[in-house]
Amino acid sequence: MAIMNHSRRSMLQSASCGFGYLALQGLCNQQAAAAPSEGLTNRTPPLPARAKRVIFLCMSGGPAQMDTFDYKPQTGKKKHPGSVVRFRQHGDSGLWISELMPETAKHADKLCMINGMYADTGIHAQSFLQLHTGERLRKRPSLGSWINYGLGTENQNLPGFISLNTSKSSIYSSAFLPSIYNGTPIGVNGEDMSAATISNVVGEHLPLAAKRRQLDFVQSLNRKHLQQRPGDDKLDSVIQSMELGFRMQASAPALLDLSDESPETLEKYRVGKKLKIGTCRPTDFGRQCLLARRFAEAGVRFIEINHGGWDQHKNHRRDLKANCDTVDAPTAALLEDLAQRGLLEDTLVVCGGEFGRPGLTPDDGKNETGHNARGFTFWLAGGGAKNGYVHGKTSNTGDRAVEGKVHFRDLHATILHALGLPANDLNFWHEGRAHRLTGPEGGKVVHELFT
Amino acid sequence: MNFRPFAIPVLLTTIALRSACAGDASALSPDDAQFFENKIRPALVKHCYECHSADAKEVGGKLLLDSRDALLTGGEAGTPVIAGKPNESLIIQALRYDGVEMPPEKPVPEAVVNDFVEWVKRGAPYPATASTAAKAGSVNDPESLWAFEPPKNPPIPDVQNKAWPRDSLDHFVLAKIEAAALQPVGAADPRTLARRLHYDLTGVPPSFEEVERFVTDHQQTGVDAVERLVDELLASPQFGERWGRHWLDVARYGESNGNDGLSRNPTFPHAWRYRDYVIAAFNADTPYDRFLTEQIAGDLLPSDSDQQRDRHLVATGFLAMAAKPAKAMNTNFDMDVVADQIDVIGSGVLGVSVACARCHDHKFDPVPTRDYYALAGFFTSSETMWGTAAHEGLTAPKTDLHVLKAAANVPPPEGFVETVLVPESNTGKPKPIPKSKWPVGTPLAMGVRDGKKPADCKLNIKGDAKKLGDAVPRGFLTACRFESENTIEVDPKQSGRRELAQWLTRGDHPLTARVMVNRIWQHLFGAGIVRTPNDFGVYGERPTHPKLLDHLAVRFVDEQWSIKRMIRNIVLSRTYQLSGDADASLTKADSGNLLLTRHQRRRLDAESLRDSMLKVSGQLNLTPADGSIIRHRDILVNLAGNLHQPSNHRSVYLCYLRSSPPPELAAFDLPDFTSVTGQRDVSTVPNQALHLYNNPFVIEQAERLAAVVTKKAEDDEIRLQFAWQQVFARDAMPREIEDTGEYLRVTQNELKSEDKAWNSLCQALLVTNEFRYVD
Repeated sequence: MAIMNHSRRSMLQSASCGFGYLALQGLCNQQAAAAPSEGLTNRTPPLPARAKRVIFLCMSGGPAQMDTFDYKPQTGKKKHPGSVVRFRQHGDSGLWISELMPETAKHADKLCMINGMYADTGIHAQSFLQLHTGERLRKRPSLGSWINYGLGTENQNLPGFISLNTSKSSIYSSAFLPSIYNGTPIGVNGEDMSAATISNVVGEHLPLAAKRRQLDFVQSLNRKHLQQRPGDDKLDSVIQSMELGFRMQASAPALLDLSDESPETLEKYRVGKKLKIGTCRPTDFGRQCLLARRFAEAGVRFIEINHGGWDQHKNHRRDLKANCDTVDAPTAALLEDLAQRGLLEDTLVVCGGEFGRPGLTPDDGKNETGHNARGFTFWLAGGGAKNGYVHGKTSNTGDRAVEGKVHFRDLHATILHALGLPANDLNFWHEGRAHRLTGPEGGKVVHELFT
Repeated sequence: MNFRPFAIPVLLTTIALRSACAGDASALSPDDAQFFENKIRPALVKHCYECHSADAKEVGGKLLLDSRDALLTGGEAGTPVIAGKPNESLIIQALRYDGVEMPPEKPVPEAVVNDFVEWVKRGAPYPATASTAAKAGSVNDPESLWAFEPPKNPPIPDVQNKAWPRDSLDHFVLAKIEAAALQPVGAADPRTLARRLHYDLTGVPPSFEEVERFVTDHQQTGVDAVERLVDELLASPQFGERWGRHWLDVARYGESNGNDGLSRNPTFPHAWRYRDYVIAAFNADTPYDRFLTEQIAGDLLPSDSDQQRDRHLVATGFLAMAAKPAKAMNTNFDMDVVADQIDVIGSGVLGVSVACARCHDHKFDPVPTRDYYALAGFFTSSETMWGTAAHEGLTAPKTDLHVLKAAANVPPPEGFVETVLVPESNTGKPKPIPKSKWPVGTPLAMGVRDGKKPADCKLNIKGDAKKLGDAVPRGFLTACRFESENTIEVDPKQSGRRELAQWLTRGDHPLTARVMVNRIWQHLFGAGIVRTPNDFGVYGERPTHPKLLDHLAVRFVDEQWSIKRMIRNIVLSRTYQLSGDADASLTKADSGNLLLTRHQRRRLDAESLRDSMLKVSGQLNLTPADGSIIRHRDILVNLAGNLHQPSNHRSVYLCYLRSSPPPELAAFDLPDFTSVTGQRDVSTVPNQALHLYNNPFVIEQAERLAAVVTKKAEDDEIRLQFAWQQVFARDAMPREIEDTGEYLRVTQNELKSEDKAWNSLCQALLVTNEFRYVD
């Protein structure tokens, strides 16, 4: 128990201001003997929560919002940049959605559009990092890590943060937060997602009971080692991570195995469908969506799935269509499936990328777009977000957000708020100061997005 | 939304008082400069530059506010400032939303308006900027360009505790600790120190006997014993394998191209020669300036022998390792290769990211686009030789390779048949493997050589190779300042890489030595003095100990750029030899160990962990591996499946295929080797635990270790004692023997096998934190 006490003390020290402290108090009140991984214990958030978990559909490359969700028809006589594909209103809400997203459009009444997103930079890597961590240049904890730090995990046998088809580790890193909140990658950098698994999750050289005994022995040595090196949070994290890894052996293989899903489900999600056109690379997005549902169901707190390829500079029309074809049906299947299983009520689905793109001008023959960080779109669904609602707007040419502007830090604050976490007070003491996801400026919760 | 640019309301024809407004830089008082930097420039950047700077997508009203000259020139509406007369200055009217409304979205806070009023009253002082690109850089912190000034040898600071410093570098550390009214921890015990030194200098753990010998020696001779050990380790061939591997991270060394974006990944069958060159260079303590020169311009250096010529040619492999995007449909392919070369020089050697300047002036660092193309000329005037790219033209065109003279012929093993065929992209049918242009087994190397027609590179507008601007004369980063201004002339008839190397290795270069000593420091302490080892620019971290960094940089050059000497200096210092244990009050007072009050405990990196497991299981083969498993395989790796083979050589000799790393290493934060890696991540994720539980390599080493241990004796107690010595290089404590004996008995009963019980015990020992961390 000495370790546990130590760990709690050091965490108290490191989280001695703001909400971290509150979280810890709640944590300490729970049965300390429950599990060695107390850092993962499920915790009640301090504010009323609408959502318990998040599925983030991460669209890297800068999706063209004006040809998907932010309808920009022509105004006036002279042609200006705007939408170049057909849009139609959908559902009772009459949300405008482009013809490239026919399946997602069927769920228009589940969507909550944020059309006034803006970011600081049009540099992919920096904005992508900021989208995940709030910081453009330095390695900082990822959104999923902050959420797990605040809430712990619902399932002690799985990581609380899973990143599918992910890229650099800085995207799912816990940085200075305890490593136990680090994301677990499945499938990295465009690896074939149908084969992607958690490496080494199976080993048959020892029966599970003997493995457990072996680990108990290892941990007893690790605890003695730590006792002689008090105050080392990293060593403490390893001890917890070893436990989690052990438990994953029992639960993860079954979750990754889709053979218990019906052929209809696999078809609905378009599992195995691989489009390879221009910038659109096969990501088996359907498999990712289905895995996301299974992980959500199993209680994983934050699941990120990825489709890159939205950086269609050259063949805008062809490549955008390919990208939309890749994500449209699986996204729709995910929304439908979550709703049917009652999971959508407390699962916040978030979709968007690091920035958007300027619009093309109809009929001028150009087919090239660049980056636009000054105005773009995200959408939310479930988790208490309003149904069929549009928040904020961009100018007539879509070149910049003009109303209801939402920065990444505001989006982060809003997501944490949905989970019952006060974003600007959820902080962690590191290198002489308190850090928070929303940075020194803090984020504004967009309350209008919720019912 | 009211959206009115400056020009619309009144066409002001006011003529500003040019002489008074924004007077020349020398006239700027420190107070004015400070006021401008603290109040005005940040507001300009935040509220105005989006539309009124050279970087703006569309400049509003043709008005630029991003330099003194621009301010004087004014825009369509005339000059925005009338010095000393805020009420008549257009900029103030606009900020007050008086007739003109700027910025258009919403007015700036009143406090900011008042700052501008004050500024205009002062005569609108605006510092002249050396480089147009530096403007954003100096926004909040005029010292942010520190790294571009040459290091000056700082005086050794005085300290109160005069007995403490052992090396001059200790003075710099202790002075800061004393200034914070703190005390460093005590020295590490000899046992800990031995293990630390072995790992840091060779990457392989000491044996029990080696530790015992050192402890005894240390009791008798103290610091002399440490010196002897350090010299012995620096002289061992394992030193080059350890430190060469660090450099291979910087050099983004990989044995295949990596995914070209079309899911093709051709091998680099000859890359391993560069690996061997690097290891040998570290073992020979090749001076760092020479080491860089060989890698950048080896092909242009004179040589006395075929061996030396070969070595020089192989060294240029440094510039040929690019992870290239596919050639197909890519008009920028050649410039993509150049971009990689500029990046490895920029991030790797200079610690400045030059890459952004390919398309636009660097936003933060003083690197204008012209500098980028001045550097690019060295490489566009050179031929880069990566080889056949698996005969897949869509990935990359075939190139020549260096043919070595002294190196032995290496024919493939008898009966070797290349089994991976490249399918014809149209028909999908296998196409025949083209005959090599060299006789089978010819020793070849990747690298560069001068092109046939060296020429300056034309500026690519917005990074597009089809939109060309003026040719930029070959040259260097203009932001770097030097002690002496003896400029280096580039011979236009050659590529100029020799001059580039000459410039980089100038003794008074502000960056090269600082960046390298910082890398060395980082590998010994876990964190650099600058904690962003590839970025000494405006957005990089500031050094925790600027004077210490300069002291080391100057010393490095004075000591003939000797890496071994620098390592020796550092590891013999008091600072390096501190204990890692600190009480809670110190950990709190020096959170993050920014003052270096203690040593930082570190996890073994992927290579050291594997090497350690092999060593304690008795399997480690310390002879260097010969070549690479892919040396005869000019193929697309993605089609070939996993080519990795088990090996007992040190990890540095495994096959570092990009996008397909060696499975024994992959779990522990291996970089992807496609770009410069200055510092590896140290994550703790459950995937690592799974690797330790279930990876076949770990299980095999556990079994081997168990075999060694059980063969040692019949008696369990002796066996256990031996196991502890073998794995932890220390004796087991009685309590440990007792507990472990109990574990063995229960496990043996459960598994009904003595062997399995020992296997499971040995695996457990290899998995412990004690084994995997270094104090």
